[in-house]
Amino acid sequence: MADADEEAIRATSTEAPQIETDLSDETQDFRLLNHLNFLSDTSSSSLPRRGEKDFEPNPTEFQADVLAASRGAMHNALGHPRIHHPKTQVIGIYAPDGPAPPPELKVDEKGTGVSPEYCVYVPVPKGQYFKTMGRADRWNRVWLLPEEAMYLIERGTLDIKWPSELTGIDENDVNEPAIPMSIQAAYACLLGRSGLTLERYTVFTGLKRLGYAVTRAPGWDDNAQVNESKNESNKKAYTQPQQRGPGLAGIIGRCFSWLDDPFGTSSTAAGPVVGCGIHRNYAAVYRKLAIIPWYDPAAAETRDPLDTDVPFRVVFHVYKPSTPIKKSAWPAPEFRIAVVNTREQTSIPTLAQVGALLESTPLDPPRGEKMDRLMYMRLRHGYRNVVLAVVDQGVTSFLRISDAAFGKEKLYEAKGVPTGPKRHGNFRPKKR
Amino acid sequence: MDTTSPQPKAGPRGKRGARPGRPNYRHIHRHPLPVNVLSVPPVIPHNPLSIISVALSYLTFLISPPRQEVYSAYFDSATSSIHVTDERAIKALWEMGFFGKGTLSRSEPSWLEREKKRRGLLGGSTSEEATRKRRTERRELKLERARVEKLAIEERLKAEAAAKESGDVLPAAEGHTIPGEKFSVKKAMEARYRQSRSQTTPNGDASTPADSPATPNGKSVRFSPVVQEKEVVSSSAASLHLPDSVLDEEEADEAPLENEEHLQVSNEEAFFLVYSLGVLQVYDREENKPIPTSSLFPLLCNHSYFPPRTASAELKPDDPFTMSYVVYHHFRSLGWVVRSGVKFGTDYLLYNRGPVFSHAEFAVIIIPSYSHSYWSETEERREYTTSQQARSWWWLHCVNRVQAQVKKSLVLCYVEVPPPSASSDDIGALLGRYRVREFLLRRWIPNRSRD
Repeated sequence: MADADEEAIRATSTEAPQIETDLSDETQDFRLLNHLNFLSDTSSSSLPRRGEKDFEPNPTEFQADVLAASRGAMHNALGHPRIHHPKTQVIGIYAPDGPAPPPELKVDEKGTGVSPEYCVYVPVPKGQYFKTMGRADRWNRVWLLPEEAMYLIERGTLDIKWPSELTGIDENDVNEPAIPMSIQAAYACLLGRSGLTLERYTVFTGLKRLGYAVTRAPGWDDNAQVNESKNESNKKAYTQPQQRGPGLAGIIGRCFSWLDDPFGTSSTAAGPVVGCGIHRNYAAVYRKLAIIPWYDPAAAETRDPLDTDVPFRVVFHVYKPSTPIKKSAWPAPEFRIAVVNTREQTSIPTLAQVGALLESTPLDPPRGEKMDRLMYMRLRHGYRNVVLAVVDQGVTSFLRISDAAFGKEKLYEAKGVPTGPKRHGNFRPKKR
Repeated sequence: MDTTSPQPKAGPRGKRGARPGRPNYRHIHRHPLPVNVLSVPPVIPHNPLSIISVALSYLTFLISPPRQEVYSAYFDSATSSIHVTDERAIKALWEMGFFGKGTLSRSEPSWLEREKKRRGLLGGSTSEEATRKRRTERRELKLERARVEKLAIEERLKAEAAAKESGDVLPAAEGHTIPGEKFSVKKAMEARYRQSRSQTTPNGDASTPADSPATPNGKSVRFSPVVQEKEVVSSSAASLHLPDSVLDEEEADEAPLENEEHLQVSNEEAFFLVYSLGVLQVYDREENKPIPTSSLFPLLCNHSYFPPRTASAELKPDDPFTMSYVVYHHFRSLGWVVRSGVKFGTDYLLYNRGPVFSHAEFAVIIIPSYSHSYWSETEERREYTTSQQARSWWWLHCVNRVQAQVKKSLVLCYVEVPPPSASSDDIGALLGRYRVREFLLRRWIPNRSRD
């Protein structure tokens, strides 16, 4: 039903981007299906609204009628004949051994230029789906990945046939058509191929149905390892408690700190950290308090996508429906998705796992006029981000994780506490 | 989703600022921390006189250093908690940095004020009263909604029975449901608020919008058994106050009102005030002696377990107190007002400036991390760290959903635990071995992210 809700979602999304009210939590009034004219008239653009919920059964016939009408509407909608026009029918052929040159060409060359992960080819590609899916070889056939083929089969767009090598039927023989593959057989053949788990397929197909373009990321292969892990190198990204450097600046600094605290009462060993002396302003007090090292995501080096801990590894690159896609040169992804099966990975990631995952994504610092103005927004956006798709027995929850870097946002400075020369410069209106 | 979901930042409450009786929080809470700050005249390079004035001010500080007030609190080992009983200290700690919680109040110690108002000694209303009133109103409206719905069903039943008798056919259920729009508690709240405002403003008496009772609306209608039962429960809760308030009024003449409330500061807050700011002195309750900072730290560490560990026990690097203190100190040092997040199922809430100014924007959860090679050296340690780090996905989803509902952003704060150290004498060095990394977690809704 996701498609029917889109209009309502779009209408609300512009008003309140942060408020996360999930419309799928609401009830559905299936009687609205009867008013839908998409069954008969595909050009209509209006979509139905949600109904109201009865919280408990009551003895009125009215409620019983509503229920019966809803059921009827649902059966009606489901029972509507779905016609596949032979003109738009797309035929794919299963290639269990991966990409190979066409059999009728008795060529010696082995290479088709297509990665061995592809396992279904479409000799005559047509329709919009091949804009973002598949890969063409030298003979103008389009090869599909197992999840792409599966998605198209489930959609009813693609008919898949057993290959002639297995059935012994010549596929070019017009009189004897190739044997079609059942959807069960397609599941059996395609899922589990080249690292395609059911969880990954669920995520892929869910996003595809919403209109996203989805591709496999370099971290797709669980067994791929990087030669040398640089687990240790990013320890440098942690700030160290401030220490006064040598040289003139250090001397002046020491001098000032002596003036602040002439009797040496400030001690981090036994406290008080800020000392008992004179504080010129609260910002100085806060600066003295900074003794806990924190992680600076901007200082961390980006690591190899394979230098991560499975399953916390980006497996899908996702693009919004509006993004122009060129299959030969994919743009930088808008979202990076790691897929987690909760029945295998039962606990949430450790710091090492989630840290490595985020460090494998490129730096994406908060930029723009709005971000500069709103500190909360900067914090929420973070410096690197990734989406975790947590699949629990078929139910997917997407979680966006970002490196927040609270340490880079000194609240005491942002507040407009007078801090030296910037007394009038840095004042900005308080967020209400 | 009900229409009555809490809307912390909107709704009738948002207009509270217009009420004239509101105290000047900006002035009351002008000090973010309870330490003295003396501004020094600025140095202007081209004006040599300014240097003299700066030097003079430093000189006066040197000759007669301003005294930093040190407040006192006592540690109660039976409850592992720290209490402040001195009136002045309570006021100072609350006003400058929002430390602690009144033992008889929601947060700000306001029991005495509430009690006075209840006995009619003071005018106005406290925040607790406002909340209670709002909750009562909401409950009433919910009952009203239940009643309206019940009535509609009864009417429908009657109509159906009549139709059966006469053999008519009722309008089909195909169209739309019960006539009129559904009873919305939120809308009713707003209507009631508007009504109370229009009632009070013409009289020029805007200070008592709380006193205008808009409650008696049609109590004579017969409720269904279910609704009636609910009504009994709610009214009995309300009437609980009646008898003792009568009693108190009689007593009020005899005994002068004493403040029975004190401030409880959390162990992290207390240690921050002692160790970081040096403005608090914690006394042992039994011996009535001040506890030095060096022994306060192990004491609080041992008391972060239940039952408390003995003083001779070796300090663990990942005991609950150290972990939460590291996070507390980290966010405090960045200028956040950190308060307990227990009511939203998190470890901390981060307020900008303080709870009286705005709602908390971030809710923090502390998760330990054991990346150091020490922790993976033996099988036993590996097992221990795995169990310490394990949190289920369902737990995470629960917490995340709650935060989304109350419009807070969830912060996962991982604390890197160092291997055990030989000594804990240098607290600063000890704390400096911990490392903090924050992640923001948010639900990502594909439906909404497509643009």
